[in-house]
Amino acid sequence: MSSRRPIDNGTINDTTPSKVDSAIGQNVGLATDDAPSGTSKRKLPPPEKPSDVRRRSLVIMSFWMVVLCLGLPIWWKTTTIYRANLPLSEMLEWADGKACRPVFPLRISIQADALQEQEAQNLLRLTQHALDDLNDFAGHHLRLQLSPPTSAADNSWNKDDDTALIIRLVPGESTTATLDPYSPVLDITYPPNTIPSATSSSSSLATYVASQLRSTFAEEQAIISYLLSNNSIPSDYRPQGLTPEAAESLSKRTTRSLKYAPTYHLTFSLFTSGPLPSSWDIEAAIDEYMKPVLDVLAPIHNFTIDTQIQLYATPGVQNQVLNKEDLSSFVNAAEWPLSPSIGGAPTINFIVFVGNQTIGATPQGGDKSDNDAAAVTTSPSWLIPQWGTVYLLSLPFDTTHVSAATLKQPLLTFTSHLLSLTGTPQSGSLPLRLSTLARIRSADLLLRASSTLGSLARLALALPSMSIPSSVADGVSKTMTHLRLACDTLGGAEGLAHARIAEAEAERAFFEKSMVGQLYFPDEHKLAVYLPLLGPVGVPLLMGLLNEIKAWRKRRREKAEQGAEKKKE
Amino acid sequence: MRQFFSFLLFSLLSICVHPRAASASSDYHEQLVLRPLPLSALLASFNFRSNTTLSAFEAHNFRFFPRSLGQILQHAGTRELHLRFSLGRWDAESWGARPWDGAREGGTGVELWAWLDAETDEEADHKWLTLTNALSGLFCASLNFIDSTRTTRPVMSFQPEGDHPNSTETNTHLLYGVLPHEVVCTENLTPFLKLLPCKGKAGIATLLDGHKLFDASWQSMAIDIRPVCPADGECVLEIEQTIDMVLDIERSKRPRGNPIPRPPPGHELKCDTSKPYHADDTCFPADYSANQEWSLSQIFGRTIKGTCPLTDPNTPPVCLQVPESRSVFISNGSLEKKNADGASRCYEIEPEAEFEMILPAPSDAAQTENKAQAELQDLVKPETPLLYAERSFTGHGQERGGVQTILRNPSPDREVEFIYMESLPWFMRIYLHTIEARIEGQSGKQRDSLIQEVYYRPAVDRARGTQLEVRMRVPPASTVFLTYDFEKSILRYTEYPPDANRGFDVAAAVITILNSTDSVSSSSGRSVAYALRTTSLLCSLPTPDFSMPYNVIIFTSTAIALAFGGMFNILVRRFVAADEGPEVSLGGLKGRLMDKLGKLLALFKSKGGGIKKTE
Repeated sequence: MSSRRPIDNGTINDTTPSKVDSAIGQNVGLATDDAPSGTSKRKLPPPEKPSDVRRRSLVIMSFWMVVLCLGLPIWWKTTTIYRANLPLSEMLEWADGKACRPVFPLRISIQADALQEQEAQNLLRLTQHALDDLNDFAGHHLRLQLSPPTSAADNSWNKDDDTALIIRLVPGESTTATLDPYSPVLDITYPPNTIPSATSSSSSLATYVASQLRSTFAEEQAIISYLLSNNSIPSDYRPQGLTPEAAESLSKRTTRSLKYAPTYHLTFSLFTSGPLPSSWDIEAAIDEYMKPVLDVLAPIHNFTIDTQIQLYATPGVQNQVLNKEDLSSFVNAAEWPLSPSIGGAPTINFIVFVGNQTIGATPQGGDKSDNDAAAVTTSPSWLIPQWGTVYLLSLPFDTTHVSAATLKQPLLTFTSHLLSLTGTPQSGSLPLRLSTLARIRSADLLLRASSTLGSLARLALALPSMSIPSSVADGVSKTMTHLRLACDTLGGAEGLAHARIAEAEAERAFFEKSMVGQLYFPDEHKLAVYLPLLGPVGVPLLMGLLNEIKAWRKRRREKAEQGAEKKKE
Repeated sequence: MRQFFSFLLFSLLSICVHPRAASASSDYHEQLVLRPLPLSALLASFNFRSNTTLSAFEAHNFRFFPRSLGQILQHAGTRELHLRFSLGRWDAESWGARPWDGAREGGTGVELWAWLDAETDEEADHKWLTLTNALSGLFCASLNFIDSTRTTRPVMSFQPEGDHPNSTETNTHLLYGVLPHEVVCTENLTPFLKLLPCKGKAGIATLLDGHKLFDASWQSMAIDIRPVCPADGECVLEIEQTIDMVLDIERSKRPRGNPIPRPPPGHELKCDTSKPYHADDTCFPADYSANQEWSLSQIFGRTIKGTCPLTDPNTPPVCLQVPESRSVFISNGSLEKKNADGASRCYEIEPEAEFEMILPAPSDAAQTENKAQAELQDLVKPETPLLYAERSFTGHGQERGGVQTILRNPSPDREVEFIYMESLPWFMRIYLHTIEARIEGQSGKQRDSLIQEVYYRPAVDRARGTQLEVRMRVPPASTVFLTYDFEKSILRYTEYPPDANRGFDVAAAVITILNSTDSVSSSSGRSVAYALRTTSLLCSLPTPDFSMPYNVIIFTSTAIALAFGGMFNILVRRFVAADEGPEVSLGGLKGRLMDKLGKLLALFKSKGGGIKKTE
């Protein structure tokens, strides 16, 4: 088997080895003639029996059979990592926005009790045409419908109806439009002569109504298109009309607002630099100044409220006059007990700081609340994005108790900041703003859940040694069903609920603990375990196989040579 | 004159304080009690107590009660909570009875017990997990390591301190967890101080400094939260924060910039003059310098900075327990009030001024005769504790061991009845049949007369620790040995900590002494008279060599190499006579290499020759 040269004294010429080799293997008498006369005369072993040769091949083969049929499967079975099947391509489709085209059909009903049915239908058709001409964004659809004529006194609108806005057309002196501050109703008056005739193809009233509607929903449209453009929604589907400035202001606003959560903890803290004041009428003040807004926000968010008083609080900046840079480091995170609350829901902090410090620079809060800009620019408060608000309150040094009346201004500021922290749009009447908030939030949640799915898919592809438990697969499938449902019912309350569930499930699947447990198992360790075990076993096995293959090939060649010689003879 | 000023001060205070604030200010108390102990030690007991009404607590309006803790309690449904951070050993032989009758101290490390509202045991476990995790974040301690193996449900040892309405008793669960290995340090003090209304910025809390606190011979930080329902008025939730520390006066007086102890120069050496060989050039150093002079700023490194304005004005902030005969110097503006018992005095502090106190060494006249007696005269005599207890391991080897607790009743005529509680880790498997109590000097077993009741919950490997509660009594003026044996189990490779050879800490045994009453039948209704804890133990388990897995791999591989290689070669090789096989020579490889090299050289030469030829 070992085909070594018999004598290695260097005297042989280079052409002989193959011959010598064959001579040993074949073990024919004439080979001895070729053998060079060295120092010792070597005998050749007797020829091997063919049964021995066959037995040897069988032994090697059976060893290899055991290794291949038993060892390898066991090794494979015991060392593979369980990876549940994830619908990776579908997940990536969601992330790329191919699976869902977010469309917000907004139903707007027109109440035109003074008009004839025919006239009203005609006006509606014209307005819809005008709207469709104006609209460049397919995701945001305004659908007009005619509401059944009601008695003029009955202006109640059905809450569970999906109608986003009601337009009440009332005949009047001139064309005016007013937004009802307490209900989603747009009152439009028109001079009677502007009613389009049944055959006319354009009408000034229809154009006016369309432009009014468009301006009412302009902000919502801008926000939603901004959200879509920031995610990987196909570009053809993206609206074009977003100016860079508008996009920048929107991005500022979205970074300022907190991540969506069903519940927020509101923490009101009174910090004083000295020992006084040590009590405040915060409960009464909240009930009076903040509760109304919280009640209105209740369908979208739950709020829990807690209050605390902290004496001897040193701010992070000791300057008498605070400039813009100081504001970011004013909150002394190391010493002030504002630690995040337990229970998962994020905390919004509202801090009243009693001290004699003033703000020197233009307040940060001034640029964003247009409706009460005057109040904000003079007020000594600032908003910390995604965190809360600080209000500097200067009181006479011997005040021991802060009354509810003193807290009015701080709480009004907090209320307006709360709206911007929750991401409520700024224009329009409050009911409109809130229904817009619900739509924005569902779009946001939908996009966030989709992008989480995409990240999970990319992670699963990037880390092949990561185990994926079946709970992750469950979470993914749940997320996808809810995403599908949310996508189908976008714009309604149901859509928001589904988007919430989808987002929560996606986050849970992504942050599954067992996925990262044994992620890092260094290759050196594997080497250290396998090498001493496989070295002593593998080398003889491999060498045996190689030698056997070599011998077998040689036998074949010799047979062929013998056959050729015989033929010659 | 001084009293007049104090009157003026009080009237001023009562005028300027808003009536509402005045009524609320009684919701917060703080007091520091200083008591010099024998062997030149000083016990400082800080006590802070604040209240909140239950209605305000449930409405999440926090004023003196810390919000961070309140939120945790609400989230985990906790009715009453006790948390202890302790370090060191209380030397009962020389220091006497423990402060607060032992109710405000824990064993070495961290101890936590709480009454939780829960319908089922599983729910209680879940809330307990939430509670420990949240507290671990708040106090920067490894409380989250209190898992099921370190949690027990004591049956007899603990009784709620607060008032719980009877209707909810069935739904409250008591859980007790202990971490004997936890090292208490500055990072635990900082959050502790943050919970105080005045932080560490005013009042007696200004004395608290991590460097001094954790340098003490013994210290215990305690937080107790319990609902209190006074007979008249609304129920309140009371948080009591206590820090007790025993400072070695001499050690504390070391200058901060030069903390390394060095031998004093010869002329400053304190010699024991009673030795016969005492002379100018020979000195037997006195082992401690009794009754040194000390001041607050020397001991604590700082003075008290005014008072916390929220405190109840009727509680004097600082009290000192020394005999009336000793003189004490205090800073101007403060008031001294001697108490009627003649062994303590209290001080009123000016709200804004710094407060300093100096306790000079007593006059030397008495000291020459008998040192020990003289020292006792200058100190308030420590109270004798109801029971002395010490616990140690017996036995040898890595397999078996024993625990022996020596319980000594010093009282000549009173029997002491108590509950002895051990919560042992699961890897100490105790043999309950070996539990034995005997009185020193008497032969035979008096198990039945001494041990009255045993509550035992055996351990489950890796899931639950052993819980052993023994109600027993010690007759007057006798010493009882309580012993039992245990077996050490072998842990799994990954269960050993990085410092496995150090050993495993075994939590302190909790001894709760019950008030003696005639009715022996009901132990649960009896109030606690005194509590003490033994020291924690260090149990060394058999530790493996941690390179073992690799050794095993190498060893197995060697065996396989020998067995498999040999067998395989026998099976597949052909055996021939020695002169028939190919010649085996050491130079085989070398020769082949030389051959190759020679060929290469030849090739080069021939090429070179070729080039020359072309030239």
